[in-house]
Amino acid sequence: MITLTLKEQPNVPLEAEMLSPDVMAALTNDEIRALPVYLGKRRRRLDDFFSVEGEKSDELAIHGDVVKVKWIGRGMTRGRITVASSVGMHLGAHMKGGSIDVSGNAADWAGAEMSGGVIRIRGNAGGQVGAAYRGSLSGMTDGTILIDGTAGLEVGMRMKRGIIAVGGLVRDFAGLQMKGGTLVLRSGAELRTGAWMVRGTIISLKPIKLLPTFSYASTYNPTFLRLYGRHLGALGFTLPYEDGDGAYQRYSGDACVPGKGEILVWKPPAT
Amino acid sequence: MLRITGGRVYDPANGVDGVVKDVCIADGRIVPQVEGGRTIDATGLIVFPGGVDIHTHVAGAALNFARGLTPENMRRGLPFVHTKDLRAGLGGVTPTTFATGYLYAGMGWTTVNEAAVPILSARHTHEELHDTPIVDKSCLVLMANNEIVLDLLEAGEVERATHVVGWLIWAAKAYGVKAVNPGGVAAWKWGKDAKVLSGPIEGYSSLTPAAIIAGLAKIVDDLKLPHPLHLHCNNLGTPGNVSTTLETLKILEGHRAHLAHLQFHAYGGNDWGTIRSEAAVLAEYFNTHPNLTTDAGAMLFGDTVTITADGPLEHLLHQLSGRKWGNVDVENETGCGIVPHTYKPSKLVNAVQWAVGLELLLLINDPWRVFLTTDHPNGACFWRYPEIIRLLMDAEFRKEQIKALPPETLNRTALADIDRQYTLSEIAIISAAGPARALGLSQKGHLGVGADADVALYEEHPDSGILFEYPRYVIKGGDVVVEEGQLRNVSNGRQFLVHPAFDDQIEAYLRPLFQKVYTMSFDNYPVEIERLQEPDIKPCA
Amino acid sequence: MGGKITCTLGEVKNRADFIVYWGGNPAECHPRHFTKYTLTQKGKFVPEGRKGRTMVLVDIRETLSAKAADIFLQIRPGMDFEILTILRALVKNQRVNAAAVAETGLTLEQLQDVVDRMKRAKFGVIFFGMGLSMTRGKHMNSAGVLSLAAELNEFTKFVCMPMRGHGNVTGSDMVLRWSTGYPFGVSLSRGYPRFNPGEFSTVDLIVRGDNDAALILGADPGATMPQPGIDHLARIPTIVLDPKVTHTSRLARVHITTAVTGVSAPGTAYRMDEIPLPLRPILASPYPTDEEVVRRIRQAVATKPAWAPATHVTTPFS
Repeated sequence: MITLTLKEQPNVPLEAEMLSPDVMAALTNDEIRALPVYLGKRRRRLDDFFSVEGEKSDELAIHGDVVKVKWIGRGMTRGRITVASSVGMHLGAHMKGGSIDVSGNAADWAGAEMSGGVIRIRGNAGGQVGAAYRGSLSGMTDGTILIDGTAGLEVGMRMKRGIIAVGGLVRDFAGLQMKGGTLVLRSGAELRTGAWMVRGTIISLKPIKLLPTFSYASTYNPTFLRLYGRHLGALGFTLPYEDGDGAYQRYSGDACVPGKGEILVWKPPAT
Repeated sequence: MLRITGGRVYDPANGVDGVVKDVCIADGRIVPQVEGGRTIDATGLIVFPGGVDIHTHVAGAALNFARGLTPENMRRGLPFVHTKDLRAGLGGVTPTTFATGYLYAGMGWTTVNEAAVPILSARHTHEELHDTPIVDKSCLVLMANNEIVLDLLEAGEVERATHVVGWLIWAAKAYGVKAVNPGGVAAWKWGKDAKVLSGPIEGYSSLTPAAIIAGLAKIVDDLKLPHPLHLHCNNLGTPGNVSTTLETLKILEGHRAHLAHLQFHAYGGNDWGTIRSEAAVLAEYFNTHPNLTTDAGAMLFGDTVTITADGPLEHLLHQLSGRKWGNVDVENETGCGIVPHTYKPSKLVNAVQWAVGLELLLLINDPWRVFLTTDHPNGACFWRYPEIIRLLMDAEFRKEQIKALPPETLNRTALADIDRQYTLSEIAIISAAGPARALGLSQKGHLGVGADADVALYEEHPDSGILFEYPRYVIKGGDVVVEEGQLRNVSNGRQFLVHPAFDDQIEAYLRPLFQKVYTMSFDNYPVEIERLQEPDIKPCA
Repeated sequence: MGGKITCTLGEVKNRADFIVYWGGNPAECHPRHFTKYTLTQKGKFVPEGRKGRTMVLVDIRETLSAKAADIFLQIRPGMDFEILTILRALVKNQRVNAAAVAETGLTLEQLQDVVDRMKRAKFGVIFFGMGLSMTRGKHMNSAGVLSLAAELNEFTKFVCMPMRGHGNVTGSDMVLRWSTGYPFGVSLSRGYPRFNPGEFSTVDLIVRGDNDAALILGADPGATMPQPGIDHLARIPTIVLDPKVTHTSRLARVHITTAVTGVSAPGTAYRMDEIPLPLRPILASPYPTDEEVVRRIRQAVATKPAWAPATHVTTPFS
């Protein structure tokens, strides 16, 4: 286990893509201390900002308020990162494997264009979770992102595969231009959910405002939800899927593309 | 002052073919001898004239549109990090201006001809060329869909059209005339194309593409421009378009002409399913018609973005591929379309296109008349020229590549049967000496006394792709700009342009016409000469 | 999906018979637009001038521009994205939910009529303003109108153009694009250009307090930014270059008065259709140009001791 504790709060964002199990797994304590981090236009040493304990491990624990530290876990393929507080932008961007667990909040672009691994955010996330960077054809192509709290704009924008599950309310454009994968919204969303989606499944456990280009299809309990429900249940996310739990109203869209996506809105059982 | 000694010199324009001799430089030019100054020991290196790219798209409105349209490509571009001497930038498919200069120079190319400039945005092109370091530049101004010129050609007023074209070239501060899909881009303003050379163009009563081609070829010859009409034929990319190309070539008989990116115009078959190479037919024509030059416009597999004034083609490509589409129609003059594209070795059509470019280079016998280009970025990026050089020089390697293509490729192309291998001297011709001569730049593309001191030194290597990828030294105008893999001593290049002879009175004709159909003041239309970095006006004779 | 179909303004003048202004008020904000480029000009292929053109104004309130409109569509605020999405569906003969349409402030019949007119046009153009690009949805509203215009090209010629703001914003877009690859929101902190709106775009960055100094030319964020941004600019060393003392100048550390570009300093302005126009100074000024000041600042910075630059390249594919 490598433990980093923030000792000096950066006054501008600190870019720290070196904070990754892939980078640190084979490094000695001295080598870890000497890793470059980027404070604006200046290159600094990791130990200018963090005290470092441990070495040669693919388990990394980060303590202190790292809300201004960006790119933690970038492109990682293995190991585990835990962040005790809140973390900055691009957490786990391009991640391929391993896991990240954040006790606090995450900023925008968590899990952007990831292709594997698990990110868990216990607090709130920002916008563009699992999304495509501007102009990219696709967002995340696999992996799992779980957010206990709220999330911002464009969650799952152009995602192609994988699962994003959010406990709290999300803002506009959840599932924007979605191409595949599954987006679970336990507390629903603000506006324009599934806008311009091509394929993929959005599941909302609360009623949500739908664009005029979505059409009601049917009310049912899809079989695949049992698998997803059990899978997410094991990760602490409950999805009702038994017949007695109610049913899902299926809306297809977005007709403006025209897309073959679906939004399933849970309808609790009549009392 | 600089002496390069011990290298094997390839200077085909002066009959030097791999001879170990000194090359001496003073005041930016090749001189017979020097005393003092620096000596570069070029033992084990070959010495080439700096490359001349006769057809590329690197600066101006179309390029800048493409950059903005594809941030995902910019993100993947080779980063150029800011240093004391170097500006920040991004390479990739549509490099930024500073990166463009660094990439060309880093490859040993020292002169670049921006092939397509609208007069209305020529000022923009010159601003970008100003920010393109090291290389010398020229640009060609788009004329074949200029509605004022087309109206005059339709009315048979060739002489007046000649003065207008001359005036427009000088207004744009250009070096020559570019014709793209004659009539087709004007038709695109109505949502149509011009696919029949003898058919009237949409929006015109009798004017045909054939008449535009003939008219402009004559005008360019009458204006005595150093570079002939530079023509992108109608029906680019269409299966069976070899017939259009041959028909175009017949119209051009008796005139000088340069056919752009011939690869895209050498297809047989009737549709995408039956497309085949007809490079041999065109090569035969070129071999028997010395009035013509061409550049290959070769295609390489991979990602790129297509950028061309051929608006209708880009709309078609968008419809076929579903990729994003950019288009801008430029009032009264031209337009441009942009569609990102991926050439895949698994696709038969792309395999045929790949073969066609190489076939043209191998079947046209005279390397002085077929030049190394990819119509950057349409066929491939210019910084991949070394890959093409390898394919030309190494027949075994070339044939090995064919094995990875769909088997049906063998029935559609002749490449597998071609054994010819380019020599180093021939590479020097297609990459430097030939394009310089075709452009009429007599001090470029060779290492004779009086030439500009643009020299590339490469380390001998059995793999010609590697040989040409990283020159050990690059000298531009006598300055060592690349040394041991580092760019240094960055300078600004010159810009070549022409001032054709035309009757100044033509302005009285143009002014009221311009005010009627354009949307700016006529006095703002011509580019001020001060905008050009180190302008060098070449004679029209 | 994705793309931009546009033209230079002369094409509009010469050909456009169907003109939509969406989320803008040209009568007051681009006062010569109608007369110079779009409505009253006798175009080469619209010789009847105004009579040969139909103008549709789409806005949340009736502005002065409505007087010039043949059709005024008053929409509910914040519904632009929904309407554009409906229009895109109707262009493709797709079904839309009629009840949801009513919330936009327009009827399905009105929207279908707009689509029919657009398809019947010989040359259509949509000009869009900040009422679209800066309201809820932001860049997705812009994407909506750009996509709609692009998709109409299956039926006829149709283009789309943003009504750019003042201060040669188009020019800065052009220069940034050719020198960095990106139009705005560019970070050079790692030594090479990176782009990420929201992370590096000005207002977001300043409001979060991500910078520890600011150099501001020809803009007045101190007048328009959210208060946390204004407070941050007041806290950090802020330098303003401007011909006049602005709101931002008043909270800056240093204000340098510079000559007015276009009046006393030369340059190039890029029109909203990205056509470059030369700026010819007509009056001498006692003040230095922005360019002179920036060059002198650069020279002074170059004498500072070197620092370890943050130039480790971190591209997605490394």
